[in-house]
Amino acid sequence: MSAKIDPNSTKTPEETKLWRGLDEFTNDPAFQEMLHREFPDDATSWTDPVTRRQMLALSGASLALAGVGCSPRPASREKIVTYVNQPVGMTPGLPLFFASGFTLGGITSGVIVKSREGRPVKIEGNPDHPSAANPTPTWSIAKGHAGTDAYTQASLLDMYDPDRSQNVLWKGNPRTWDEAVLAIRNQWDQFKKDGGKGVVFLTETVNSPSYASLLNEVKKVLPNSRWVSYEVINRDHVREGTKLAFGEYLNPVYDFTKADRVLSLESNFTETPAVPRYALDFAAKRRFRPDAVDGLKKGQKPSAEQLQAQLARLYVIESMPTATGMVADHRLAVKSTLIESFARAIAKELGIAVLAGDASISKHDAWIKACAKDLMENKGKSLVIAGDHLPPAVHAIVHAINQKLEAIGKTVNYTAPLEYGDLTKTGLTQFVELVKDMKAGSVKALFILGGNPAWSSPVDLDFKGAFEAAKKNKDFFSVHMGQYLDETGILTEWHIPTAHYLETWSDGRAYDGTVSVHQPLIAPLYAGKTPVELLAQLLGKELTHPRDVVREYWLKNWPTKTPEDTEFAWAKVVQDGVIAGTALPAKNPQAPANVAAIPVTKVTSGFEINFRADSTLYDGRFANNGWLQELPKPVTKLTWDNAAIMSPATAEKLGVKIRFSDFLGGSGGGEHGRAIVRMVELNYEGRKLKVPAWIQPMHADDSITLHFGGGRERGGRVAQGRGFNTYALFSSTGYTGTVDPKGLTEEFILACTQSMYSMEGRRPARQATVAEYLKNPNFAKIPWVAGEETELIYQNVPNKRNGKGGHNGHDDHSHGHGHDHDHDHGKGEAKKDHGHDQDHEHKHEHDKRVIPLTLYPSNADMYSEPEKLRRWGMAIDLTVCNGCSVCMVACQAENNIPVVGKENVIRGRAMHWIRVDRYFSGNDVKDSSNLVAQVQPVPCQQCEKAPCEVVCPVAATVHSADGLNDMVYNRCVGTRYCSNNCPYKVRRFNFIRYADWKTESLKLMRNPEVSVRERGVMEKCTYCVQRIRAAEIEAERQRRPIKDGEVITACQAACPSGAIMFGDIADADSKLNEWKERPTNYGLLAELNTMPRTTYLAAVRNPNPAMPKV
Amino acid sequence: MQLFHPSLNSIARLLVFALPLSGAGTGVGLAIVYRSGYITGQGEVIDQPVPFSHLHHVSQLGIDCRFCHTGVETSSFAGVPPTKTCMQCHQQMWVGSEMLNPIRESYRANKPIKWERVNNAPDYVYFNHSIHIGKGVGCVSCHGQLDKMPLTFQSKSLLMEWCLDCHRAPEKHLRPLDKVTSMVWKASDVVNAETGKPYTQEELGAKLKKEHNVRDSKVITSCSMCHR
Repeated sequence: MSAKIDPNSTKTPEETKLWRGLDEFTNDPAFQEMLHREFPDDATSWTDPVTRRQMLALSGASLALAGVGCSPRPASREKIVTYVNQPVGMTPGLPLFFASGFTLGGITSGVIVKSREGRPVKIEGNPDHPSAANPTPTWSIAKGHAGTDAYTQASLLDMYDPDRSQNVLWKGNPRTWDEAVLAIRNQWDQFKKDGGKGVVFLTETVNSPSYASLLNEVKKVLPNSRWVSYEVINRDHVREGTKLAFGEYLNPVYDFTKADRVLSLESNFTETPAVPRYALDFAAKRRFRPDAVDGLKKGQKPSAEQLQAQLARLYVIESMPTATGMVADHRLAVKSTLIESFARAIAKELGIAVLAGDASISKHDAWIKACAKDLMENKGKSLVIAGDHLPPAVHAIVHAINQKLEAIGKTVNYTAPLEYGDLTKTGLTQFVELVKDMKAGSVKALFILGGNPAWSSPVDLDFKGAFEAAKKNKDFFSVHMGQYLDETGILTEWHIPTAHYLETWSDGRAYDGTVSVHQPLIAPLYAGKTPVELLAQLLGKELTHPRDVVREYWLKNWPTKTPEDTEFAWAKVVQDGVIAGTALPAKNPQAPANVAAIPVTKVTSGFEINFRADSTLYDGRFANNGWLQELPKPVTKLTWDNAAIMSPATAEKLGVKIRFSDFLGGSGGGEHGRAIVRMVELNYEGRKLKVPAWIQPMHADDSITLHFGGGRERGGRVAQGRGFNTYALFSSTGYTGTVDPKGLTEEFILACTQSMYSMEGRRPARQATVAEYLKNPNFAKIPWVAGEETELIYQNVPNKRNGKGGHNGHDDHSHGHGHDHDHDHGKGEAKKDHGHDQDHEHKHEHDKRVIPLTLYPSNADMYSEPEKLRRWGMAIDLTVCNGCSVCMVACQAENNIPVVGKENVIRGRAMHWIRVDRYFSGNDVKDSSNLVAQVQPVPCQQCEKAPCEVVCPVAATVHSADGLNDMVYNRCVGTRYCSNNCPYKVRRFNFIRYADWKTESLKLMRNPEVSVRERGVMEKCTYCVQRIRAAEIEAERQRRPIKDGEVITACQAACPSGAIMFGDIADADSKLNEWKERPTNYGLLAELNTMPRTTYLAAVRNPNPAMPKV
Repeated sequence: MQLFHPSLNSIARLLVFALPLSGAGTGVGLAIVYRSGYITGQGEVIDQPVPFSHLHHVSQLGIDCRFCHTGVETSSFAGVPPTKTCMQCHQQMWVGSEMLNPIRESYRANKPIKWERVNNAPDYVYFNHSIHIGKGVGCVSCHGQLDKMPLTFQSKSLLMEWCLDCHRAPEKHLRPLDKVTSMVWKASDVVNAETGKPYTQEELGAKLKKEHNVRDSKVITSCSMCHR
């Protein structure tokens, strides 16, 4: 039986042991030793192979250069290249911001792009766009908070990718765009003769109204032509599901702000690509605020019900653990094929007529009953959501369940589909037909407008083979438009590079249908064109520039009455990035869904295989993006490779294991990121693939998950040789199948960050249920270790609330500094009284370890004018953080953090300034039902008493007057003492020159406000000090204090859940202080008395007491 | 056996003093060289594509700094004027001058002029013009008497110690906001209403420091103020 968190547990949370991987769980001696090393054995060695000759050459050169280095003749003579005509509104040195939009999988999200001197350097969410921000901001986040997803953040690097296709090619030979258009137009005239018979346009999912209108016009000119839209990750099953349930094709739009109970069937909705809003809305219902219960009188204690009402309850049933599953209150790990049976069982429980599913789920009856009851009791405030990949039948049943729960019109609304094209067939059906026709030779011309079907399509269809077959026809004509000369691009006769979305005009529909208009930030770097331009040319349009196409379309199809001043209206649309009033109207079906007759999919026994989009590489299109390749996947923490993911029990069956091994068979210890795993051979539908096996606690048993994205053949230099091509197994039968796996003894090395930077069982991430909280409101505040020490500190810290303590005007210091010890209620009360007595007695002999509280100068004169001295701080809410890791990419983009590559990740040299730790707790790794996951982002804690500062021999890391732990790169000589002394392990060292100083296009991308670091220099999070200083300068110039929310760090801005709050601790009214005053606020390793400025709000979960016990 | 002749004793004695002295001398010498114009570029005139004269434009024609350096009040970078700014006047005057050929050529061909940078801070220094102007630091404090420079040169060393000099005691260089671009203003031009005597720079600076909300020197000497 499997309740994820036992709601009636009397165990105090600190007894729960946290672990991150199996080696830590079993407490391997090698693992222990590894932990004790700051950097692993090998990380310190310079292992770049240098031959003797090179060595001599280098030393010779360095001697010669020694003289040069000593001659700092006028720092350098640079040129100032002025404009001839400076563009209006542009001031060199000041950034400009433009609205645009990022489209993935047929959904667009709004973005605001920061531009410096004409170069886009950072992408943020657009607060005016419904996909990124909630127009009615909740109390908890900065006003207008607009998140993004990891793909959006990293799409910036995609634009500057030097591996992008740079030339129009005809049979591999360079041509010009004009030549291409001429050649294609010649063909076009031929097509017209028979109405375009055998002409096929293959696109990805199209959600752009203007583009779709062109494709529809083509259909008028060439009535016999065909438009096929297919991409491997799609939402066709959702659409098919509504057809099954309601008889029409619809698009569900969820409103999580109204959902108190959510059941997710394999839906990772908090990470929906291009819809960061779902995470934001869901997080809005998961803010634990015991001090802000509605209608509570002062001093009154909130009841369990009142507290539970603040937390939406999340049930998740899934096979592969996801970011959503990790934060569930109740999670059930079952095979993906059984999900349908669960959907049926829940439907049945709610009184919907459905056929019964597989009988094997009967052991979960109690779970299902309790869950269904909870959903029903919260009728109108509950929601069931199914993963996009699940078969249409599941979606149909889920639609019926939502109707029964009276969710329609409340937590879910249906609109017309977002995508364009032939909606009556799934993309896969259209694609199967296309391949069949190609093989039969009836396709005369194929226009592949985006996408990479030769690689990312089911292997059994054999697109490449079909293409070769079609080529046998002498007149066969083919064009490929894409950003890369990829697996598809080399097949076709013509290849035309496309412009990146930041280089061209476009439009697209968001998840609710709202249309955004996207302007370019920069002229195409590599002369890229767009399919819109090509079609407009072929259709003989007067205006073929994408800007004109989009503009003309919308001026004709204005959602309301066409405005009189179209110029002004259009300018506003471009400025906002959104066309107001274009959200699709709700078309909520009234007729009851009929799902009684939906046939039951037979569940086969044996091992199941699942194919899923990768959480960083998506379907493989981002494989050449170093930021995403190196971003640890939220659950597995793997980088640079994909693997066959399976549960510990399954791994035991197959005889595969993982070891985090010693390096070169040395003295133990080993490398932080080096996971030596066994390979498995997967035999699926007669095709075989060898993949490394990754053992993932919380995964369903007898199930293996493969992610797309690895093993690109023509991916570019980053993607080259990374991962395994799972498309080699993927077939048109679907995302799930039965596989015959065989464990091998062959080993493979994966780069995994899960064991890096361990804080060794000090219970860094803290979590409790509402019941546990009520029993002990201070659960987060009592560190598990250093108990006595803590008590001592506890008694000596001045308490601001009752005005006790205080010392030399340092009273302020104790307030909200991640101190574990202020605002104690509940259990701590008795101790507190005692403490105060002592406090009274020892009033004049405070513990000197506690006060004076900081290392940095007292600035006593500044305290008289508190508005002048800012005290920056941060709080991270672990209740809403789901570990999606968008913050890591955002930080990388903002702070010019280099990518180090697989070899260096293995050596524990990854450079991310903020990391997301992922912990498990539970006593039996093989029983997923007793496992609980916790996530915790860890940036530099900006300690008031920073251990790093006292050990630096050259004062390269010092405190600023506003309490930041500054890092001065130019002073750093690379002793790494600071990192050794940092208990949080947040400092990163440039062991070699990681930053790319050569590639021209990457130079353009860098944030000019942040230094690019050289080899031998330590670096770390600075709370985005460049943003702080910019805001400061602005405010100082205007002689005003900085407003709360004026400085937003990159991680905070990008967080789709709004889990990070940054602000001024000295500002009593700041949102940050509101967060820090929560009883769940605690400082990480605060028992060390480092007084971290970053604090955490412990996670509080809301499990259902009626659920069966573990 | 005697290795050293007794006469060497005096030399040895001399060396006891001479060695440390010469060591210190080398140190001092290096420090002097390091601070010299040769190393810092102070006072060095650099050839420009057009021999632009601040002397002529500022003191003889009386053009305000901000006419050309438009970003100075809002941006980190003061801005070097686009060719169009030059042409606004030089379309009418000195149209035949050979000296101005590069300007006309740039305007005609839409090709930027490549000026030589005179005042250059290293890349890891994030200097911001706008805040200095906004707090009342005069142009002349860092750039020197541009009104007397026929050809522009770097007038200060731009070493960090020079920056800190002022960051530690900003009152030495503060002036009323409307006098920031003045090349001739002196503190003694202002009369102290209380005493009826002209101000000294120290007195006026201290007063302006308060009025302009110039932050404490501890704050503005934090490393991350200029280095990130």
